[in-house]
Amino acid sequence: MLFTESTLVFIALNGVFAFSFYAVLVAGQLSLAQAGFAGIAGFTAAALTPPPLQWGPIPTLLFAMVIGMVVGAITAVILGLPTMRLRGVYLAIATLGFAEAIRIFLLNSDWTGGAQGMSVPKTLTPAVAWVVLAIVTYWFARQSRSRYGRALEAIREDELAARSIGINVGGHRLSAFVAAGVLAGLYGVMWAYYVRLMAPEDFGFSTAIDGLVTAVVGGTANFIGPILGSGFQTMLPEVLRVTGVEASWIRPFISVLALLLVILFLPGGIASLIPRRRQKVDVAALQTDAAQLSLRTHPAAGEVVVELKQLAKEYGGVQAVRGVDLPVRSGEVVGLIGPNGAGKTTLVNMVSGLIPPSSGTATVLGVPIGRTPVHRIAAAGVTRTFQHSKLFNRLTALENALIGAHVVAKPTFLRRLIWLPSARRDERIALAHAARCLDRVGLLDKANTLAKGLSYGDQRRLEIARALAADPSLLILDEPAAGMNHVEADGLSALIKDLSADGLTIIFIEHNVGMVLDTCDHIVVLNFGEVLADGTPEQIAADERVIEAYLGAADEPDADDTTSAPAQPAEENSND
Amino acid sequence: MTEPLLSVKDLSVSYGRVHAVRGISFDVAAGTLVTLVGANGAGKSSIINAISGIVRPSGGRILFDGEDITKTKSHRLVPRGLVQVPEGRQILATMTIAENLQMGARSYGAGAAAGIDEMYQRFPVLGERRKLAAGSLSGGEQQMLAIARAMLARPKLILMDEPSMGLAPKIVNEVFGVIDEVLAGGTTVLLVEQNARRALQAAREGHILQNGEIVRSGASETLLADDDIIQAYLGTGRAKE
Amino acid sequence: MLQQLLNGLFLGSIYSLFAIGFTLVFGILDRLNLAHPSVFAASAFVGIWLTDAFDLPIWLVLILVFAFGAVMGLLIERVAFRPLKDRPDAHFAGLISSIAMAGMIIALLQAAFGPNTRRFPVGTIPEDALNMGDLTASWLQIIILVVSLGLMIALSLLVQRSSLGRSMRAVAENPTAARVLGVNVDRVTALTFAISTALGAVAGVLFALNVNSAQLGMGSAIELKGLAVIIVGGMGSLSGSLVGGLVLGIAEVFAIQYIGSSWRDLIAFALLFVILLVRPEGLFGKRKVREV
Repeated sequence: MLFTESTLVFIALNGVFAFSFYAVLVAGQLSLAQAGFAGIAGFTAAALTPPPLQWGPIPTLLFAMVIGMVVGAITAVILGLPTMRLRGVYLAIATLGFAEAIRIFLLNSDWTGGAQGMSVPKTLTPAVAWVVLAIVTYWFARQSRSRYGRALEAIREDELAARSIGINVGGHRLSAFVAAGVLAGLYGVMWAYYVRLMAPEDFGFSTAIDGLVTAVVGGTANFIGPILGSGFQTMLPEVLRVTGVEASWIRPFISVLALLLVILFLPGGIASLIPRRRQKVDVAALQTDAAQLSLRTHPAAGEVVVELKQLAKEYGGVQAVRGVDLPVRSGEVVGLIGPNGAGKTTLVNMVSGLIPPSSGTATVLGVPIGRTPVHRIAAAGVTRTFQHSKLFNRLTALENALIGAHVVAKPTFLRRLIWLPSARRDERIALAHAARCLDRVGLLDKANTLAKGLSYGDQRRLEIARALAADPSLLILDEPAAGMNHVEADGLSALIKDLSADGLTIIFIEHNVGMVLDTCDHIVVLNFGEVLADGTPEQIAADERVIEAYLGAADEPDADDTTSAPAQPAEENSND
Repeated sequence: MTEPLLSVKDLSVSYGRVHAVRGISFDVAAGTLVTLVGANGAGKSSIINAISGIVRPSGGRILFDGEDITKTKSHRLVPRGLVQVPEGRQILATMTIAENLQMGARSYGAGAAAGIDEMYQRFPVLGERRKLAAGSLSGGEQQMLAIARAMLARPKLILMDEPSMGLAPKIVNEVFGVIDEVLAGGTTVLLVEQNARRALQAAREGHILQNGEIVRSGASETLLADDDIIQAYLGTGRAKE
Repeated sequence: MLQQLLNGLFLGSIYSLFAIGFTLVFGILDRLNLAHPSVFAASAFVGIWLTDAFDLPIWLVLILVFAFGAVMGLLIERVAFRPLKDRPDAHFAGLISSIAMAGMIIALLQAAFGPNTRRFPVGTIPEDALNMGDLTASWLQIIILVVSLGLMIALSLLVQRSSLGRSMRAVAENPTAARVLGVNVDRVTALTFAISTALGAVAGVLFALNVNSAQLGMGSAIELKGLAVIIVGGMGSLSGSLVGGLVLGIAEVFAIQYIGSSWRDLIAFALLFVILLVRPEGLFGKRKVREV
């Protein structure tokens, strides 16, 4: 008999535990503290819950589960808050250490029974376990296509890009942690109320590893993953038993071998074998749907939207940007040019809030940059693209744009849980808005292509579409035409002028000087971190210093006339 | 006509979907300085990295000293006499100047210490600060270190990627002075630069790159005197017909 | 009290030796090899087996185990790290793949040696001690200290003075610059792994000698302590591991004396946590902790 009551219960339990890993893995965090959460939740619940005879087995179990979830949540917050800044390896180690500390604490406490542990009445039935699993699965199923779920995915794909679209990464991370805590706590309680005897050892390192294996092998590609993983982990010993394999080392060996094979060859886990249903959009209803989104009013034309006063940035003795003064008015298209290393990207990084200035001030759309976090600046109406594409590669073009709309779309997760029709409507509106942004850059026909599958030029345009979806008043583009040929660059130039006509202010860095001269009203030339020239395209094109900065000055300080002669005809010709 | 020291035929370099270099060809004769100039993003560094074996070409052939080195990796090319002075210097800032030079002299063979001493003579500031971390040097001094380090590999061909980047004009003069010396010493130089005028003054012949393709080639005096170069270079004109 | 200090030093030197291998790989590759502790455990078993089956003297066993560790290091690098080199999720994937390899190694250990605790055959461990006034140090402890410190000094000399050491430091600082200089980065990486696991392997045998036992769980037990040491000392810093390990050893011995042995392990985590929050680069570390 392969499916005993015990296997059924454990598939459900391991599934819930795997979901507690899934909750943070979808956001790109590797936390190994879940076993610790489970331990402390289990023991606390067992200690505080009255015996089943008092209220009946199911009510006492429910009571215990609630305590477990609360304790799990609190513990997760205790861990999550101080570790907000940690990433990757450091986060994994911190969470591992935390879990071990809990285990030692439980081991040495009297109320837990120390190393012997506690005995707990067996009140969990397979029915309850599977109902819980179903509810948890439902939760995550509804999360996938909500604004919240997409934000988590964005954080996993590219945290910096997520920030710059206005997603509050810290807040989302913490909420993912709390979800993991709640689920792990739930697991701890249910496990205790089934297995009857729990000891601190049961919530140690090997439990954490088992949970990790289940989650990773099952996969984080979609919400079925944890259940698949749990099926695998729980059935493995049964299969081995039935086929007569006796040695006790084989089960763990196969388990981690599966982990190794998965991570090397199938990183999304078994779940990634199931093709993912992508978000689609109803093209017919596009215009009406999108129009329902309330958009920002842009500042009046001519109003100063960016004010830089003596903005400077120094890196260990090197002055990347020196005292730049620059007002930018609403509706302008400003081109920022200069030779390599002139400080353009550094300047733009300061204006978009990515790096704090060393001195000087800058106000962007009324927000003082410097101490303001990136996502607030984005919410104020500033979005940007990056020099090296930071797209959410494993998502489609439409999904990228949809996430871009984070600050203008309405949150839909909680409403989706109760199937409120208004949630569906809001999702449709957001989708329509995203599709319209794609249409603007000419990518609507590629809406369902994965971002990493697009051509380079299309990827650059998708970045712009995504930035547009946030409905910015100020759009900053970092080398948008890089790698584009003349036709594409012309198209981009037309798009930028179009956007400007709609009231957007645009600042862009470019090396294609011709395109800049064509597109901008106002050009700023940087060299060695300072403003070399600032004026209209005609003024800049005629400015010899600019040409020199790019092509290089003549070699001796007392330049002979032969080397400056070519500059003369160039003045007339460079006004292309 | 002797074989050129370096021969690049139809070279293409792609990074995923980005076609950084599209089928370029050029030769470098031994003992000369050839320059590739172009605006940023034109593909210059990709060419250098493909030749020096840091990056694998996606198409074409590279011949060095008679051998096909298209797929050869950098650690095999340095002992054969092909070294690179990379963009941004890439010196090992936390290691001492002496150690940086020792790294350069790995394939020198016997007498490396004497070779390093020569470098201290030629560049006194390196000699004075030899025990200090290389990161304490100024930009121009780091460039000298990078060149000295490359020369210690006793190369036949030295690839230079934007040596003037981020340096003040006076320092750029000094750097180009050193490049002239390197050339005078018999080493062949392939120079990639954004500072087109300086590069063309130092070179015998040049090629102008735009968007991964060579759009103009010729003797450097011709190119210098031609105002079309400014068009092609800045992208203000339409490139090749 | 001085005796306690001395005992702590002996224990700490094993921690340092273990941690130094751990941190060496992190310094070069920016990856954490979580299979390192499993080699620590494996080598203890292998060491006991060699002594038992072939009646080999300890010094020979240490040498053979060193070689065993080196081979394991090469294997782990080849299977769990090199294939992941260019992947965008390389950090995460590396952690998982090394966790997987660790599990496989422990499972195979169980297959080979069974689940029970193993001990050295009677007579392997020298019984006598050295008396210096008030202080006593057993010959075993002295051997442990000498071997640990000796290996760490040898490593330090290798890294600071030799050509390979310079290449290792170059790769750690800037792999592109190293490539440009003609360093065979793949080979240097593999060698670094080999050296690091070899040291961890020796640490495993020394630890087993110290407590005269080897258990399957000894790897995970020391894993967290090792992580605490390298975080506190600074990831990638060799001197940090040395000092951190000694400090941990001494702190543990004193904690057992004054607080009780079961709370002993908490010291490591308390330190770990505080450092991660306050000064993530550790006491001696120079690397900036990646924010994104």
